[in-house]
Amino acid sequence: MFKKPLLAAVSLIALTALAAQAETIRIAEHRQARIDALKAVAPAIEAKLGVTIEVIEYPAPEKDYMSKLLTELGAGNAPDVFTVPGDSDVPDLATAGYVAPVTEAFAAWEGAAHTFDVAKSLATGADGVMYAVPTMLSVQQIYFRRDVLEKAGISTDQPKDWADLMARAKEIKDKTGQYALLFPMGASWGGGAFGEGFQYMLAGTDTPQLVAAGGKLDLSSTGVKDVLTFYADLVNADLMPVDPLLGPEPWVIPKYEMFPAGQLVATTCGTWCYIYDWGPESKNPIPDVTKAVGTWEVPGKAGGNGHVMVSLNSPWLVNANASPLATQVALELGSVAADVAYASRLGNIPARRDAGDDAEFQKLTALVPVLKAVENGTYLQASAGFSAVSEGVARATEAILRKETDGAGAQKILVDYVTDVLGPDAVQ
Amino acid sequence: MTYQSRAQWQLRLILLPSAALLLALVIWPALYAVWLSFTNAALVGPGAANPRFVGLRNYARLVGDGDFWNSLMVTGLFVLGSAIIGQFVLGLVSAVLLNRPLRFRAVFNAIILLPNAVPEVVAGFLWISMLAGGERGVLSRIVMGLGLQPQDWLNTFPLTMIIVVNTWRGIATAMILLTAGLSSVPKEVHEAAVMDGAKPGQIFRMITLPLILPTIFLYMLISTVSTISIFGFVYALTRGGPGGATEILGIYLYNQSFTAYQLGYGAAVAVVSLVFSLIVGVIYVRALKVEV
Repeated sequence: MFKKPLLAAVSLIALTALAAQAETIRIAEHRQARIDALKAVAPAIEAKLGVTIEVIEYPAPEKDYMSKLLTELGAGNAPDVFTVPGDSDVPDLATAGYVAPVTEAFAAWEGAAHTFDVAKSLATGADGVMYAVPTMLSVQQIYFRRDVLEKAGISTDQPKDWADLMARAKEIKDKTGQYALLFPMGASWGGGAFGEGFQYMLAGTDTPQLVAAGGKLDLSSTGVKDVLTFYADLVNADLMPVDPLLGPEPWVIPKYEMFPAGQLVATTCGTWCYIYDWGPESKNPIPDVTKAVGTWEVPGKAGGNGHVMVSLNSPWLVNANASPLATQVALELGSVAADVAYASRLGNIPARRDAGDDAEFQKLTALVPVLKAVENGTYLQASAGFSAVSEGVARATEAILRKETDGAGAQKILVDYVTDVLGPDAVQ
Repeated sequence: MTYQSRAQWQLRLILLPSAALLLALVIWPALYAVWLSFTNAALVGPGAANPRFVGLRNYARLVGDGDFWNSLMVTGLFVLGSAIIGQFVLGLVSAVLLNRPLRFRAVFNAIILLPNAVPEVVAGFLWISMLAGGERGVLSRIVMGLGLQPQDWLNTFPLTMIIVVNTWRGIATAMILLTAGLSSVPKEVHEAAVMDGAKPGQIFRMITLPLILPTIFLYMLISTVSTISIFGFVYALTRGGPGGATEILGIYLYNQSFTAYQLGYGAAVAVVSLVFSLIVGVIYVRALKVEV
C-alpha cells in the first residue's frame, strides 16, 4: 500500500540531491606560484557561481605543460578551463577547434568595460571573434643592472636606437668584462625566443607586424632580417652568454644566477622579474631590486620613440566541450581579486584599469606605474600559424647561437620551416 | 573432431588474448603511425581539426632536414659507444669475473644490478647532480682533487656523458645475459684445453668467445634496438642539447611531435626509426648467420 509513495519520495530525494550537487569545473594550472594564486581565489568563485572547482596540477615547464594539455585536448579529455602561455598561441588552438568563443559572454561581463583596449585587441582574432579571456598582461622591456653600470661609469640613459644599444653593450663588455645583453634564443627556450625577444625587436623595425594584408605570414620582410642580423652581431661579438642557452632550462643560469650576480648586465624581461625572478618571490633576490635594476624601453632600429611590448600573459581559454558555466568561471578569473592574486605572486600586470584602485595592488609598488603605461604599449597581432612561426624563430636563433649562420641565413631557416609546416599558401 | 585438432584449437584459444593485445597495442598503433606519416596531422591548427593526406611530403622533408641527419648520426654514435662498446665490454668483463669463485660475489652482483633499480628519470637527475658544472658537481670535485679544472660536463662533453650514463645503466643486463652464456659453456671443454696446455687468454679467445657468440649476438640485437629507442633519461639529462649534440632519434621524434606539434612529421621520424631498427636487427640475425 505504501510502496508507491515511498518509491516516489525516495526518487524525489535522489533527484533533489542530484540537482543540489554543484557542477564541477576542472581548471588546468601549472607552476606553484600560479597554482597558489588560483587556490586563493577559487573559494570565492565557487561561492559566487555555485560550482565546485577542481584544480588539476600540470607539469611546471611551459613546454611540458603545453605538450600534455594539447595531447589531452586532441584526445577530448582536457580540463574545462586552461591557460596558454600567450596570445600568439590562441589562434592555432581556435583553428584546431579546441576552444569555445567567449565574445558574447565577455561583452556581457562586468569586467569588459574596465578591460584595457589593448588587451581586448590582443584577445580578438582577425575574424573578430574572442577566444581568450584577457586577464593578465606581460609588459616587457630591457632590464639592466643600474648599480653595475654606475659603478663602471657607463651611462644608464635610454639607448636611442639599435646602434646605440649595441655600442652600449660593447662598452659594458669592455669596461666590466661581463656579458652585456641577453635576448632569449634557441630551441630550448621554446616560445621564449619568439615571445620574450624577437617580437620586441620586430616592433621597432619598418615592418613591425608578421601578418600581411591578405592574411598570409610575411616572414621575408626586412624587419625580420634586421632582428636576426642584430642577434647574430650580438652573439658573434661575444656580448651574450651562449652556452647556457644551448642547454636544458636555458633561462636558469643567465636569469636566476648570472644577472643577480652581476655577470650579465642587461636582459629582456617583463614586470614579473621585479617580483618573481629577482624580487620578493625569488630564491635569489637582488637587494633593493627596483633601485638596483633599471629599465630601458626597447629602442626602434632607427631611433624614434622606444616601446614596451604588451602581450597577454597566460590568457584563460574555455574548452569547446565544456558547459557554459566554464565560461563564467573563466571570466571570474579575470576579477580584480583574481588579477591581484596572480600579480602579487607572479608580477604580471592586470588587464583591467580598476585593478589600479585596489588596496592590495597598490602595495605592489613596482607594478603600479606600469599599469598606467599599458595603453601606450606596442603589440604584435597574432594569427593562425604563429605556433609554427614561434618554433621557426627558435630554430633560426638556435643556428645563430651555434654560429652556423648569419641574419639572412637564419631568416631562410625561419621561412623554410614555416613553409614546410604550413604549406606555401600560408606564407607570403 | 580428432584429439589433435581439438588440442590445436585449444592452443589457438589460449593464444588469442595475447594476440589480441599485440594487435591492439603494437600492430594497430604501428600501422596508425604509418598512416599518420602520410598526413599533415598536428596538435594545433588546421592539421588538428582536419588532417589530410599529403603523400610523401613528410618523408621528402625528412631527407632535406639537417637536424634529422644530425639526430641519426648522434643515435649511431650513442648506440656504438654505449650499447656495443661500453655495455658489452664492461658487461663481459663483469660476467667473466663474477663467473669465477669469488668472495662477496653476491655483493658485487647487487652493486652491478643497482642502477637498474632506479627509475630512468630519477637516474637522469642523479647524474645531473653528479655532472653539474662549477665546483658543486661530484665529478668536478673529484677532478679538482686531482688538480684539474672543474667542467660543466654536460655542456663540454655531452655525447660522451650520455654514453657513460647509459653504459652505467646497461652493464647489468649485459652481465646477466653473458653470464647465462658463460654458464652454458661445458666445463669439460675448458678442462681439456687446460690439459692440452692452453693459457687462460687462449682459452678465452679460442674456446669461450666462439661458444658464447650466439649469446653475444642476442645481447647485441636486444641492446642495439632498445638503445635506439631510448628517451627518458637522456631527456631528463640534456633534453637533446646543447645545440642538438645529444638529440637522439627518440628525442628528435618527441620534439617534432610534442614541441613543434607536427604529429605527421613526427610519425615519419618514428617510421624511419622503426626501419632503422629493423635493418640493424636483420643485419644481426641474417647477415651474420647466427641463430638466435
